[in-house]
Amino acid sequence: MKFVTHRIALAGLASALAMLPPVLVSQSLDPAELLHPTVDSWPSYHGDYSGRRHTHLTQITPQNVGNLSLAWAFQTDQTAQIKSSPLLVDGVLYFTVPENIWAVDARSGHQIWHYSSPPTTGDHIGQRGVGMYKDWLFFTLPDGNLISLNAKDGTVRWKVEVADVKKGYWTTVAPLIVGDHVIVGVSGDLDNLTGYLRSVDPETGKTQWQWDATPPAGTPHGTTGGMTWIPGTYDPSLNLLYWGTGNPTPVLNGNPRPGDDLYTCSIVALNPDTGKLVWAFQVSPHDTHDWDAVEVPVLVDGFFHGQPRKMLMQASRNGYFFVLDRTDGKSLLTAPFGPVNWTLGVDKQGRPIPNPDKEPARDGRFIAPDEGGMTNFRSPSFDPKTGLFIVDAHPSYSIYFTKAADGNYGWAGADYGLWGKGVIEAIDYKTGKIRWSHEVGSGGSGAGVLTTDSGLTFTGDAYGNVLALDSENGKTLWHAGTGAPMQSSPISYELDGHQYVITSSGGVMFAWRLPGSSYAAKGSAAH
Amino acid sequence: MQASSTASISGADAYANHCAICHGDNREGDLPAFPPLLGINHQMTDEQITGIIRTGKGRMPAFAKLPQEELTALLHFLATSSTPPAAAGGDNSSQLSEAGGALFRQNCAFCHGRDAQGGETGPDLTRSKLVRRDVGGDRISEVIRNGRPEKKMPAFHFSQQEIFSIVAFIHEEQAKAVSRPGGRRGVDVSDLQTGNADAGRQYFNGNCTSCHSATGDLAGVASRYEGLQLEEQMLYPRDVKSKVTVTLPSGQQVSGTVAYLDEFTVALRDAEGNYRSWPISKVKYKLDAPINGHVELFSKYTDADIHNLMAYLQTLR
Repeated sequence: MKFVTHRIALAGLASALAMLPPVLVSQSLDPAELLHPTVDSWPSYHGDYSGRRHTHLTQITPQNVGNLSLAWAFQTDQTAQIKSSPLLVDGVLYFTVPENIWAVDARSGHQIWHYSSPPTTGDHIGQRGVGMYKDWLFFTLPDGNLISLNAKDGTVRWKVEVADVKKGYWTTVAPLIVGDHVIVGVSGDLDNLTGYLRSVDPETGKTQWQWDATPPAGTPHGTTGGMTWIPGTYDPSLNLLYWGTGNPTPVLNGNPRPGDDLYTCSIVALNPDTGKLVWAFQVSPHDTHDWDAVEVPVLVDGFFHGQPRKMLMQASRNGYFFVLDRTDGKSLLTAPFGPVNWTLGVDKQGRPIPNPDKEPARDGRFIAPDEGGMTNFRSPSFDPKTGLFIVDAHPSYSIYFTKAADGNYGWAGADYGLWGKGVIEAIDYKTGKIRWSHEVGSGGSGAGVLTTDSGLTFTGDAYGNVLALDSENGKTLWHAGTGAPMQSSPISYELDGHQYVITSSGGVMFAWRLPGSSYAAKGSAAH
Repeated sequence: MQASSTASISGADAYANHCAICHGDNREGDLPAFPPLLGINHQMTDEQITGIIRTGKGRMPAFAKLPQEELTALLHFLATSSTPPAAAGGDNSSQLSEAGGALFRQNCAFCHGRDAQGGETGPDLTRSKLVRRDVGGDRISEVIRNGRPEKKMPAFHFSQQEIFSIVAFIHEEQAKAVSRPGGRRGVDVSDLQTGNADAGRQYFNGNCTSCHSATGDLAGVASRYEGLQLEEQMLYPRDVKSKVTVTLPSGQQVSGTVAYLDEFTVALRDAEGNYRSWPISKVKYKLDAPINGHVELFSKYTDADIHNLMAYLQTLR
């Protein structure tokens, strides 16, 4: 290991950044760095604990982004689509597909190591990425196992079961590291199963705590479900972990589970050291449309109606945008961000009131949005400069069916999407109004959103184009056709004096940057 | 069996000596742990296969010292086509269906349900006409290989034997579903008969006749579609193509059906079937998309309107 002092010149660095100490170049991440990630890293799924997916880097600007070019592409040579958010730590990128992790040198774009597990059972629907704690990576397999690997070479240290695949669970989540907790969520709504969140010890994998979203299967009038498959966010000053939960089961038949079905389709605040519930807000009481509320709970400090507030924002699958006070879970604003036709309005607590006439029925109910929802796992971004919450939305319509013969187990019905399109929407969080929108194609786009301090929004359309938009008005400033639609969310970091934006589509990882040698702008900050 | 180091060895023997213990006597594999190797030459080049044999993969050991002659013979053997799968009945076919079930659960169940009866966004395959008409995978394999991109089904690069196994599983599930009364999910024609045909005719005359005619284009529509398919087509006939007229800088106009459209490129097929495309920055274009009339109604329909329309359209036989 070498001690290397970096001197990095960057244009217009925000003053909020900490000075970097002499850097130990190694495949190791001090968990304290997760509290204040530096711009030369992307150490967790969201980049930082806020979930804003907003970079302070300003080297790429609306004026020069037209020159953005390909630095390198990494081909995984396999057919699963990359859905993971990569990590960048000390110049090494780590990203995944089910059963596979690649470690790639972010300078050359070449592989350092590749881990491939033996074939596993369980649903291979996707893989969100790894978590990192000191020298170790944490990775979920489709069969409900969590493995810990050496970040230097991908060798497996241990494997523990965090979910029982034989019962119908599977795992895709990127583990979230908070202090000395490795926090893992689970999946599984083809069966009537209790959804939960589990924290394990980073050295041994032993369970520290488990929080159950729903009561055990078979509880009279109770519900099951509430899966936890997207990484949450964390506020260190409040010491609160925020996580979204999934839909109840049986999915389309709400009759066996009357009432609100707590805590499915909810945003919950947990104590990360004990797993105890501190508060909960239910985004979809008594959901019957499979609208998981697992979407990113974005943490924003700002003004709301003239008052400074610690807020939590979620653009949710059910078509509503929520702004909450994250200290106590009280609703500040609830507004639709696309066509919705399933509610009777919003109640005094800010929760949508489901219309019983729009529950699935034998002869079908026409529902907006469709089952994939007004948005899904793709990350939104909050841009502090414009105050805009930017999300890849999916206005859509569908028909939902259920009848007695469909039973009380698992899906218990059928739903059919009819039509949908993709629209990048910039929502003013203070009013819920959409300030600008940018159409991204028929069928909808699976691309997440990244914003930058210089005023750029990076995302993708339904046709495989990576887009750089002007964050003020949504106009396209740059694009590149990558041959497959993005199913992940972009990241950005600084390396060797260049700002990189990383996107993936299909089985390929793309690194974009301005061409030419390192920039050394006037008045740059060094650290 | 010993491999001779000097005399030439057949590829079949090399396979039997080194590979069969995991990959099966007939290259059928033992999923999920040991992949089948039938048709492996369609998935990988000889170089890729050699790489895996020499360096191993996952649980598979490396055969670094395998003599080149033997390796060459083995590669030739692996490229030979399989004997067709055993006819229905007996251990072989239930093994095949079991192997297919394992693949189905990993790759298909999320959308199509574990029992192929439909799940998150994916149709009930046990009610599918295509599945009913399929013989030995002749129709299903095409859908698996190409996907249905317009309906968001991805393409899957399975080997021929893997596809046979999935096809066997789907047919088995379809047979089970038919024989299991009351246990099926999905939508029957009889489920969709709650509307009033007179009210449907009134709605049709008030909202649809600017483009459609019950005695013209929609005459006999209920003989062409029924049940859920009719309702889906009624609400949004997704296969209908739009037209576009492109005006070039010269003023010349070119018309055709839309072949591709994003924010940067517009493309059409002209009346002769020629494909032409232009950068949008250089041309003007005008879409003729009557299908948008359907989209405009989405925000206006009540469920009663839809059921009534269905009742009316079903009279157009």
